[in-house]
Parts: sequence; structure tokens; C-alpha cells
Amino acid sequence: MTNVLWVRASMWSRLIVYVLLIGAAAWTLMPFAWAIVNSVKTLADTFQAGAIIPFVDFTPTLKSWDEVLSDPQVVRAFVSSIVVSAGTTVFVLLLGVPAAYSLARFEFPIDSNDITLWFLSQRVLPPAVVLVPFYLLMVQFRLIDTWTGLIFCYSTFNLAFAVVIMRDIFRDVSTEIEDAAKVEGASAWQVFWMIALPLSLDGLVVTSVLVFAFSWNEALFASALTSQDAMTFSALVLASRSTRGVDFNIASVNTLIGIIPPVILYFFVQRYLARGLSFGAVKG
Amino acid sequence: MAAARISRGQYGARLKYVLLLPAVVWVVAFTFLPLVSVIRYSFAAYVLGRGITGYVGLANYIEVVNSARFWHSIMVTAIYVAVSVPVEVALGFLIAWLVHLGPPGTRTFRTIIGAPLFTMEVAIGYLGVTMFSSQGGLIAVLLAKIGIDIPWLSSAWGGLAAAIVLDIWRWTSFMFLIVLAGLGSITTELYDAAILDAKNHWQVMWRLAVPLAWPVTSIAILLRTIESLKVFAIPFALTTGGPGTSTEVFSATDYLTTIQFFDFGKGSAMGIVFLIMVSAVITVFFRQMRRRLG
Amino acid sequence: MNHDATDRFKELACDYLRRRMGRRQFLAMAAELGFSAAVLSRLIRPARAALLDSSPDAPYESPISPERVAFLKTKPYRGTTINVMVLKATVGDGLKYHVPHWEAETGGKVNVAEVPIETLHTQIFSDLTSGLGRYDAYMTGAWFYGDFFQPQDPYIVALDRFLSDPRHPYWEPDQWLPAMKTLYTWQGKLYGVLFDGDAQALYYRKDVFTNPDVQAKFKAKTGYDLPAPPKTMKQMHDLADFFTGWDWNQDGSKDWGISLHAKVNEQGFFHFLTLAGPYVISPENKYFFFNPDTMKPLINSEGHVRALEDYVKFVSNGPQEQISWTLGQGWNLFLAGHAVMEPTWGDLPTLAQDPKESKVAGKIGACPIPGTTEAFNPILGQWKTYDLNQVGNTNGGSWHCVISRFSKKQDATYDFLAFMANRKNAFFNCSNGWTGVQPGMRYEYLPPAGTSSIAEWQAQGWNTADTAEYLHAYYQELSMPVQEEYLRIPGTAEYWHELDVNVSSVLAGQTKSKAALDATAAAWETITERYGRSAQKALYQASFKT
Repeated sequence: MTNVLWVRASMWSRLIVYVLLIGAAAWTLMPFAWAIVNSVKTLADTFQAGAIIPFVDFTPTLKSWDEVLSDPQVVRAFVSSIVVSAGTTVFVLLLGVPAAYSLARFEFPIDSNDITLWFLSQRVLPPAVVLVPFYLLMVQFRLIDTWTGLIFCYSTFNLAFAVVIMRDIFRDVSTEIEDAAKVEGASAWQVFWMIALPLSLDGLVVTSVLVFAFSWNEALFASALTSQDAMTFSALVLASRSTRGVDFNIASVNTLIGIIPPVILYFFVQRYLARGLSFGAVKG
Repeated sequence: MAAARISRGQYGARLKYVLLLPAVVWVVAFTFLPLVSVIRYSFAAYVLGRGITGYVGLANYIEVVNSARFWHSIMVTAIYVAVSVPVEVALGFLIAWLVHLGPPGTRTFRTIIGAPLFTMEVAIGYLGVTMFSSQGGLIAVLLAKIGIDIPWLSSAWGGLAAAIVLDIWRWTSFMFLIVLAGLGSITTELYDAAILDAKNHWQVMWRLAVPLAWPVTSIAILLRTIESLKVFAIPFALTTGGPGTSTEVFSATDYLTTIQFFDFGKGSAMGIVFLIMVSAVITVFFRQMRRRLG
Repeated sequence: MNHDATDRFKELACDYLRRRMGRRQFLAMAAELGFSAAVLSRLIRPARAALLDSSPDAPYESPISPERVAFLKTKPYRGTTINVMVLKATVGDGLKYHVPHWEAETGGKVNVAEVPIETLHTQIFSDLTSGLGRYDAYMTGAWFYGDFFQPQDPYIVALDRFLSDPRHPYWEPDQWLPAMKTLYTWQGKLYGVLFDGDAQALYYRKDVFTNPDVQAKFKAKTGYDLPAPPKTMKQMHDLADFFTGWDWNQDGSKDWGISLHAKVNEQGFFHFLTLAGPYVISPENKYFFFNPDTMKPLINSEGHVRALEDYVKFVSNGPQEQISWTLGQGWNLFLAGHAVMEPTWGDLPTLAQDPKESKVAGKIGACPIPGTTEAFNPILGQWKTYDLNQVGNTNGGSWHCVISRFSKKQDATYDFLAFMANRKNAFFNCSNGWTGVQPGMRYEYLPPAGTSSIAEWQAQGWNTADTAEYLHAYYQELSMPVQEEYLRIPGTAEYWHELDVNVSSVLAGQTKSKAALDATAAAWETITERYGRSAQKALYQASFKT
């Protein structure tokens, strides 16, 4: 949707905008291009200085792709990642969205801002610190190397994030319709379920995408808490190291494969992101 | 009929707790208990294979506070955050504004520029090893064409610079997406009004968009800062804290102490000290923000 | 029984145990002295049935005992699954190669979990301390041993009871070069099954060193003939200096005197340990890390400081970026032909044979790490001169599998491990570079050191010249009378990491050598206190009595 500012802008102005945007796009694409180039090299080639352009500097080969895609462990890890990320997203929404709504709309004995702050403070501790207690907790519940165990961990990390974002989204949703419904005799639950939720759809989508992305990319806990059955793709990427160091060609293939599901998801939900969130600032 | 008429005071009185409690209970269970565990370990001496060998009071804390390595990692983290976050915010906002203008091809730009958010940081770190390599790495080659030679991986500060560059690459898209969403709520009428006063779109950006998108942006900055303070994967995968300790961020130091050397006592104490320091900063930040929003 | 007979018996016993006398002869002569059969039977293990060279039922084992052949016919491990945790790639791949063969022979099943090298230690000990016991065997680095013996009940199982059972695959612990065998034992008992045997040697470009033009240039610059191979540190430094900064391989770009890798947490510190050994270890002193009486670190002694200063000079003869290189990147510079020397593991000459990886096949020279003419004794605090003080080393992981105490399938697990240690499989491992395994058994070396042959190695694709160089140098390295100590007390990983980081700081120009080593010593003291000084001291002293 073209902005009125663009329509009114001068030729010169437009040119500058384009140059900057293309620059930004090129800068963003560069590492991907490099990953693609490296993924068609053999390990020996990755060490070769100056091997930049395929066919010109070196002979490309699909061997690395073949090696990765034909490894059943890779496919399993991929599935694990999808299950864990989707599971986390669903669980986080289930617990976090109602909580966020509650904080946005109602009064509590404690100031809701402080409760939000408390949620936020849960994100402060670095993962390495809580890894040990979480590990021991998982051992106790026999959840090591299971999808459920990882989902529980990731949900804990992302819950705070979801609550904070969704709270502000709900605060922004106009209360006019809700008030009207209340007058009509709707119960609080009905207002939440049938009015507030649909109105906040954009925000829900943003939150879901971000939670999915965070879960998909998390590598530290995944590699510590899983080893065979539930190993996720990111833990596998962490493991594309050998005693020789990083297998650059394999790591490149992994990078590219790893980006596919989240990007597909992102592609489909793009329009929701554009419609906008205002976080309680603008009405009308 | 009394049941049908729900009084204001009772409206949602029970529901609000029902909605809130599951999340609170979960967070309490899964963060409170581990936190208690961490605090317990911080007062203990733990040795691999023998478990907790005794409680040592504040000894671990004293060791941490006296540890040059700990403070060095705090400094490295501080530099990392202080450089990367502002750049990410500025770039993210700028690019979001450009895309928001809606030139033809917006959707493509949006997809491309948002993509880095979905890469794995570990993978990006590994990619960086070859990209920054002076032996024919992409960046070295490109810079050589304009005559610049930066010792990315051959020097202490170069390693940190490379990690920061990668971080900026990856996280600008986070700011970009959130700001874009925030800008999207600014309606056309506002722009029509603004354009009467302004000479070009940059001025509109400064005068209108920045203030209006500030609530969005500030939450994003807060979240980004918190995450950035915990940064681990990119510098660790790139240089594993080296050369020397020049890229050893706090998470890396804690990771090595706790996970690699099983020194749970000291690692936990480190974490608590870090938690206290960061919480103080966050609380101040958050209260400031609340004041601004009124 | 008179006194003379007892003495004579002792002599006989010694001869028999040292294999200077056969069993039958011993029994006959002992009987002559009047020893009863009952007594003798307690000394002599029941004779094994003679070994077969091979059996059609077990194509992957050679030699093989008849008991084993019979045992295999029963498909003894059908229905048994064992779980093994290994390093990702190289040695892990080496292990995986043998899995289907063992499974076919015995009916058992092996699940292999691959773990990256940095998290291996964590994963092993998380599993052990959690008591979950999800793995029957772990592939371990030799320096983890101290941690295995931390608890009252060690985490790993001694192999005695398996070794005497002829139904398991046959392998020969006494064929081990002694320096290597120690890494698999703890206080006299064997815990590890043969797999890899690491040591670092110096590899160089023989073709360049023997080039007359180059030799002339060298003599002109230094005044003496180019030493090929170098014997002293000074010679090695002169060579490194000489070859840095000009294009001696005529490919258009400036080349380097050395190549190595020094990225933190990537085993780069082994280079320092190897090159520093001769400055401190000598016939008069075998302690590199700690003073055995006080458990105080020796790492910041004068000798160590000088070693580090020389090491820094040495590293400056390679690209500055080495400080961030991984192992593969370090090897690559040499394999691509741009560096003239590299002190490293045997993977290098093995990889050199592969035309996809290297341009230097057939050009490899190898020699033991050069020695010093002056070494420091850190216990006495004084320097001493020598004609040549050369020190052998076993630096590296020497990756091999150990059996978990919690395993419920210890027999099957041992069977699999011994299978890979059987001569045929072990030879395959050490002659195929991608396995990352290096030779540690006499039968893998060429005469007169061992009983292998050029043909055996050629059959695996080796260049003749390179084979001889490599094996000769490696053997010398492992069998030198003076050996550098290998630290195996609890917390070794932590001690070494501190050293790694501090050495890296010096290489990056952040600190000076003495300050860095002092900081290392201080950090080591903290670690020692945490583990308990007296416990560490006892274990350190015990580790020298094999």
C-alpha cells in the first residue's frame, strides 16, 4: 500500500530511497549468498583462498547437500524442530494470551505494571546459569531427550515475552466494542473469546512468529537436553563441528536448510505484520 | 434476572484470575524453583563426580567479585551491547521507514530484510569464520577491492568487531519488523496533515513517526537489550571467546564455568550477581518508559 | 627348597614373563628344580588354543581364536542393543565404520550418538552424574581419566575379566608402545580398549628442504647447512624464519615458515605443550605441570616462560590469523603447499595422501619434535646444558572407548570395542586418514620397530616414501626414553583451558609471557583448592606410577 509520502516525493528522493533499500537488501543477502557458495564446495575447497565464484574459481558439487539430506538423523532433527517449535508456540499462546488480556483489562491488588515487570525479569538470567537446574529438573521428571521436555523449557522462556507483547496489544485494542458487548450482557469470557481475540489477531500472529523463531533457533538447551531421540535441528547445527573444527560446507547447508520453515511461515503471515500495532499510542 | 445483569464491580472478578493464574503458576514453578536451585548452588562448593562437597557461605560471591575474568566479561558484554543495540535500533528504524513508504517492491524488501531473524545464530557464527577469514573470505576480498584491510580474526579487537557486525546483521531485522508493525498503525490522515508542514519525508519521519512509534520501539529496545546482554552463540561460535579473552562475553564465561568445568558453585554465584546488576538496570529503564507513556 | 633353587626359579620366572623363554621350556626347567605342578599351575594362565589367522565365519577378524569362532556361531548378542557416545567425525566415523560388521557377526545392535568435541566432556559427565546411564560406552579423551576416578566407585570398568575370556575378539595389549599404553590404564589396571594413539611430530616439506638452490640460500643466510631434519629448537627457528616471506613454492604468493592453529577451546594449546616440553622435561626432571610434593604449579617457571617466548616467535612465522584458526584451517595451509613445516598429529601426512585434500603427497618429511641444548629443572630451579635434550610426547586426545559402570550389557559392549581393537580392524583404522586414528601398536610399524610392511600400507593407498617417513618419526616420538608427562588428574580440562586462554592472550598481544603464565598459575591454584589439594596431590603422584 503506497504511502501518500511516496506519492508526493520527488524523483531524487525516490532514487535515494531505492538505493538505500537495495543496499540494505544486498547487505542482508550477502551471507546467504556466501552460504550457498560454500554449500556447493567440498570441505577441501572451503579452505581454498579465493574460491568465491562457482565454476570460475572452483567446481561446484552437490555432494555436501547429498550428505546432509540423505542422513536420517538430519530428517529426524528437522521434524523434532518443527514439533518442538510449533508445540511451544501453541502452549505459549494458550497460557500467555489469557494472562496478557487479564493484565491489560483488569485491576489487581498488585499494580499490573509490576507484574509485567516481574514477567520480564524472568528473561534476564542467561541460559547458561539456569541450564543446570533445568537439566536436573528434566532428569527428575524423566524428560531428558524428549520433545515434551524441550517444549516445557522453551515455553518457560518465551512465556514472559509473549505476555509482555500481547498485553500492550490488548491495551491498544479499542474498548468501545467491548463496552458495547458488556452492555448487551456478554460475560467477561465471551468478550475475551469473541471480541478481543479476533481484534488482536495481528498481534497474535506477530507473537507466534517470534516465539516460533526463537524456539527454532535455540541451540544451547537443545544440545544439552537432547542427544538422540529428540535432537533438534539447531542442536545438530551446533554439532556440525568435528575434531578438525567446523565443517564449513556442511554448516552452510545446515544454515540454508534451517532457514526454510520459519521463512515460509514468515512469508505467509507478512500482511498481518504490515497492518500494524500501536502499543497503546494511537487511536483512530 | 439478577444473574443476567452483571454489575461492573463483579465483571470478570473471577475470570481475571482464571486467565492469569496458569501463566503465573507455570512461571513460578519453572523459574522460581530453578532460581532457588541456582541460589542454593551459589552457596555451595560443587565438584564433578562428588556433588556438593559443602556449603561455603559467601565464598563463591567473593571469588566472583574479585575475579578479573568476570569483570572483563562484563566489560566485553557492555561494549558489545552498547555498540550493537543502538546501531540495530537506528538501522532498523531507518529501513522500516523506507519500506513503510511503500515503494513498488515493498513486499520483496520486507521478506528479504526480515529473513535474518530466522537464521540460527550458531550457524551465522560458523559462517562468519569463513566470511571474515583473511584467506579468501568474502568480506576480506570485498574490502580488499576498496583497499581496506581489517584484521578481523587476526587481532583481539577485530574478533569483537566481527562478532558485532554479525550481530547487527542478524538483529536489525528484529527491530525492523517490530518498528514496521508500529509504523503501520499511523493513519493516512495524520500523514496528510503532516506533509503540509514538512519539506520532505525525512522531516515527517522525525517529527511524526518517531514519536508515534516510540511506544513500540521502546518495548523492542528493552527486549532487545535484555536479549543482547545474554548474547552467547554468535561470539562463541565465531571465536569461542578468543583470541585470548577478547570476545568472551558474560554468557560465555558462565557457560565455561558451569557447563564445561562443572563448577556449579561459582557459575551460579556469577549468574546471581549478573541478575542483580541487570535487574537494576531494567527496572530503571522500565519505570522511565512507563512515565513517558503516562 | 634351597636358596639357590629359589633364586634360579626367580630368574626363570622373569625370563618367562619377559617372553625370553617359551612356556613349555619354563615348565620343564621349573619342574627340574622341584616345583610342584600345583604351584606352577597358579602362575601360568591356561594355554589358549592356538590362534587362527582367519575364519570364513568372521571375515573381519584376524587373528581369531577358535573359541571365538564357536562363540560367534551362536549369534550371542542377538536382541542386545548397546548405546555408544562418540565424537562427531574423524574418530567417530572410524567407529561407525565397524558397526555393521560387528552387528553382522554377532547379531547385536549398536546405537551411535555423535557429539561435538566441545560438549563431549559435558555430555559424558552429565550422563554419568545423573545416574541415568543411558550409554554403555563413551569415547573419551585420555585427559578425562581423572574425572572418571573422582567418585568412590569409579565411573568406568576395568577390563581384566574380559581380557582373559577367549570368546571375545583377540587383541594384544602388550603390543602397545609403553608410552601409549599408560594413557589407557589407571594405577596399573587397563580401562580403555585400543583405538587412537595421538602424538605430535614435526612434518616438513622434504622436497623443499632437499632442493639445492634453497639449501644454498639457507647456508648463505645462516652460515650452516640446511638441517633436514632439524634436531634442535634453534635449527627449527632458523628454518621457520628463513622460509617466511618469500615465494619458495613458486606459485606467485609469499609463503610461510610454519602453520598451526591456536583458536581457543580447539586443542590449539597442545602445540604449546609439545614445543615447550624440551625446555623443562629432561632426564633429570619429568614434571611439567605440578610439583609433586606441594602440588604447586610449575607452569610459570623460567623454563616455561622462555618456552612461551620462543613459541610466540615461532607462531609469528605463520599468518597472524592462526590465532583464530581451527585445526582444519591450520592443516590446510600446509596441505595447500604454503607452509614448510607443521608440528601436529599424524592426520596431516594421512590427509596428504588424498589428492582432493592436498598438493603435497609424496613430499612429506617427518621427524620427532626437535630438542633443546639447555633445559630448566623447575623443581631445583636451575638450567642445565645438554648435547641434545629431545622429549617424546603423547599429546592429543588418544580417543578411545571406556565402559560405563552403569551398563547392563558390559560383555556385549566390550565385545564390540575389542572387535575394533582386533589387529585387522586396528590396522585399517590407522592406515585410513579419515578415521583420525594413529598407530600405537608394534604390528603397525615398519621393521625394525614393528612387524608391518610397506605393502600393507600401500594397499591402503599410501605413498611409499611418505609411509616410511611418517611411521619412523612417529615411532621415535612415542618411544623416546624421556617422555613429556600427560596430565590426568581431575579437572584437567579446566587446568588446560586456563593455559589455553592465557597463551592465546599472549599470541594476540594482550599480555606478556611471564604475566600470562603467572595468571595461569594463580588460576590453577584456585582450581586445585576447589578439588582438594591433598586429593589432587595423591592422584598426581599416583599417575606417575603406572
